[in-house]
Amino acid sequence: MSVWKQEKNKTISGRMTLLAGAFVVIFIVLLTRAFYLQIIQGERYFLLAERNRISTRLTMPARGYIYDRNSVVLAQNNKTFQAVLIKEQSPDFKKTLENFMRLISVTDEEHQRILDDLSRKRAFMPVRLKDNLSFREIALIQLNMPDLLGVEIEEGLMRSYRHELSASHVVGYVSLLNERDIKDGADTSLLDLPGYRIGRFGIESALEGDLKGVPGRRKVEINALGRSVRVLEETPPAAGKDIRLTIDIRLQSFITRLLEKFVGSAAVVNVHTGEVLAMVSMPSFDPNLLTMPISVADWNKIAQNPDRPLQNKAISGTYSPGSTFKIVVGLAGLESGAINPSDRVYCDGKIKLGNQIFHCWHDGHGSMNLQSALMHSCDVYFYEMSRRVGPEKIVEIADRLGFGKKVGIELEGEKTGLLPSPGWKKQRYNDGWRTGDTLNFGIGQGFLNATPLQILNAMAQVANGGKPVSLHFLMRPEEPAASETRLFNPDHLKIIQAGLSDVVNKEGGTAYWSRMVYKSKRMAGKTATTQVRRITLKEREEGLKPQEELPREMRDHAIFAAYAPVDAPKYAVIVFLEHAGSGSRYAGPAAAQIVKEVLRLDDMDAQAQEAGEGGR
Amino acid sequence: MSFFKDRNYYLKDYNLSFSEKVERFNYIYLFFIFLIVCIGFLALYSVGGGNFVPWTQKQFFRFVVGLIACLVIASVNLRFWMRYAYVIYGVSLIGLVAVSLFGHVGMGAQRWLNFGFIQVQPSEMMKVALVLALARYFHGRSVEEIRSVKFLMTPLLLMAVPVALILEQPDLGTALMLVFVTAALLFAVGVQLWKFAVLIGGGLVALPVLWSFLHDYQRKRILTFLNPENDPLGAGYHIMQSKITLGSGGAFGKGFLQGTQSRLNFIPEKQTDFIFTVLSEEFGFMGSFALLLLYCIVIGYGFYIADRCQSFFGKLLVLGLTINFALYVFMNMAMVMGLMPVVGIPLPLVSYGGTAMLTLMIGVGLIECADINHDMVIGRRGSIDDE
Repeated sequence: MSVWKQEKNKTISGRMTLLAGAFVVIFIVLLTRAFYLQIIQGERYFLLAERNRISTRLTMPARGYIYDRNSVVLAQNNKTFQAVLIKEQSPDFKKTLENFMRLISVTDEEHQRILDDLSRKRAFMPVRLKDNLSFREIALIQLNMPDLLGVEIEEGLMRSYRHELSASHVVGYVSLLNERDIKDGADTSLLDLPGYRIGRFGIESALEGDLKGVPGRRKVEINALGRSVRVLEETPPAAGKDIRLTIDIRLQSFITRLLEKFVGSAAVVNVHTGEVLAMVSMPSFDPNLLTMPISVADWNKIAQNPDRPLQNKAISGTYSPGSTFKIVVGLAGLESGAINPSDRVYCDGKIKLGNQIFHCWHDGHGSMNLQSALMHSCDVYFYEMSRRVGPEKIVEIADRLGFGKKVGIELEGEKTGLLPSPGWKKQRYNDGWRTGDTLNFGIGQGFLNATPLQILNAMAQVANGGKPVSLHFLMRPEEPAASETRLFNPDHLKIIQAGLSDVVNKEGGTAYWSRMVYKSKRMAGKTATTQVRRITLKEREEGLKPQEELPREMRDHAIFAAYAPVDAPKYAVIVFLEHAGSGSRYAGPAAAQIVKEVLRLDDMDAQAQEAGEGGR
Repeated sequence: MSFFKDRNYYLKDYNLSFSEKVERFNYIYLFFIFLIVCIGFLALYSVGGGNFVPWTQKQFFRFVVGLIACLVIASVNLRFWMRYAYVIYGVSLIGLVAVSLFGHVGMGAQRWLNFGFIQVQPSEMMKVALVLALARYFHGRSVEEIRSVKFLMTPLLLMAVPVALILEQPDLGTALMLVFVTAALLFAVGVQLWKFAVLIGGGLVALPVLWSFLHDYQRKRILTFLNPENDPLGAGYHIMQSKITLGSGGAFGKGFLQGTQSRLNFIPEKQTDFIFTVLSEEFGFMGSFALLLLYCIVIGYGFYIADRCQSFFGKLLVLGLTINFALYVFMNMAMVMGLMPVVGIPLPLVSYGGTAMLTLMIGVGLIECADINHDMVIGRRGSIDDE
């Protein structure tokens, strides 16, 4: 062997040892790395792999039904059918969509949405083509299935409202979650439920928690594309609770029809139990329309309507209670002893206070006591008496009757109104309470503001003999025993009640037009006509124009608060009509109709019950 | 004809009979190779969701073809391979040129030559051809020649031309392997360390220039390697999912065919470059360790064979092929374990892939050939005399 070869071999042996050493080092590095990833970090990566693999999907719970007091369905879930397109199951989804649109009309907006969804969603995710298919449409799709590869018909549940216009403000509606809800911190778990509709208004919103139920959970194994491979675990959804309301849909529909031409509200309560039998706000809206996605233009048409169809005026409208407040003033006078029922005030149409003149609505009622002043709604009497009673006492009684605070009904959006007081005026305007303020206060004008429901609440307590009552919408399984507490002296209430009865039942009363023939059906009540503008001296001299000749928004609000039957009060009613004109001319007759209907229904139900019991 | 006769004369002197070759054949080495291939079948069976089709079956036939090639190559005289080393290199180079001219484009790169019935990847063949050429070149060089700069130019050129062609395809992984295997062989034959320092220094200086030649996807891969969390759903996804798959196997794995990451397709290219993750998910650290150990045995055995080869050509050939094999293993594993950017290097004998399997089995055949002829003495120009 030659020298060059030996030397070369020696070199390569040495260098090979070094290379082998380097490889051993690399081997150890790789082994350490595998040890680190699999043993030390193993658990962490295992969890990450599980998170990759397992996806929890929610399944929609059925929303609770809403019934009226007689178990008539107001809100239910209808089975609906929707057409969906699954891209990967269609050989040419564009062609399929084209074929579909030839059969079933789709708006341009929806077409754009479908195209967006098709390009955005994964190929195996169904894209909704059309909701709420009619049977004709379903038949059309099924007949043409060969041209519609990839189209499937899916079943779903859709909230639907019976008696759509009658109870919309009470029942409310549901609609899809929007970005505002997410910002407002709505239950985020619901975001994973496509098509979930949240309660928006009325009971649907107030009792969302009870109605919505618990979504089911389906644990699925998914692959890297997100397609579910198999179901690992499934908890079925729990349906929401059914809700029974105190309202009577028959009465509700009756009032809705009755007030069709008006803007305003009406409500009926049971004065002993506080059950609300009806609450109507006009104009109404169709909740079924709002449950579906609605275009901005359509929404604005509703939201910007000057008659505010989306407002429940019975609880969210605040107005001067006007002459209905005279009940409070009279009661305050009796309770404080400042008024003796026989005290008389002479009305010559106005009262002077310094150089200010306060007018009565009438030229002059003559000599008035409390009963006749209520009957004629004499302003001068109550100007004088409010001065004698003083604002503090009126505030106290008004507060006890529920003015200036929420009635506490289950609906959202209830307003507190405003019960002014000298202290309040000082704080608010840094100004002293003047006698003029008291006089305005005495006839329910001025700073005073109340919701129709507050007036009705007061009326109910006057009617039931001073029992505290809490108005409510939810049917209670059993009515609690009637409270023995009396907020007012029953004798005092008797005097007020006599005055209120005369309003309707005695010739000359402001609502004599609205009296009932049958004694057992007679009602008592109080009219009010509240001005929405100041009457100038000039107008007074020229003679007031009839309300009908004024532009609508200048016309007075017409109010009538009533209870019936007059001898054994059971129901209280309020009718509050915006800009309708005179209370006695418009609100009174409407209230009379409502009273007639509520008593008729009462009789009918009693007879039915008797017959039922007899049959048993 | 006289040309061949002439060469055959020299070869005659060391001609083992076929039975001698069968006797001298290194069955232990082939056994370990076979073990690794079987692990590969196991992994591909799992990747196929517990089916022989489509991966395992095809891979098996490729292995059979590779095994036949291996045995044929092993039975040929070692001198033959030395004599045709440059020819094989030349053919591979022509193949590379052909690829860049009218090669088949697949997966964003131009790597294949389509012969209708078979697709050939000349860059894979080059891995063997370069080792053959370098072994032959250094066989004939004296120590003094090796230490002079002048004689360093030829091997560097032998490497640089194919590297440039392969980078152009682009195939960073293969190009890097050629560079590394050349560097390792230069180191082994005794090129002074300072020259490496100079080359590495030069390389570092040239890095910005090289960067400008890289394709966008290659740059992105390197950047995401440096910070994979930056882009967990984009390019960093591969590295993240690869680590999750590996790590989630734990100590003993999720069980054969129970790997959730692989079964649910969270790993990209799981049948090729990322197949190690499939194994380590299902068999855990024990599985990773066992496979790594098998590779180590094969590599170590390669060093042993290289060491006992008498001829310098045989030594260098076995060493080069063993280094090649080790680079495959180390680079692939470093890649899937997140120690190196994703450059696209299969796990040898395990990853699904025809050309790689064939190339590797050719390599095994050459190593076996060198081992059968380990005591053969080869002259400076391939003759028996020592000059």
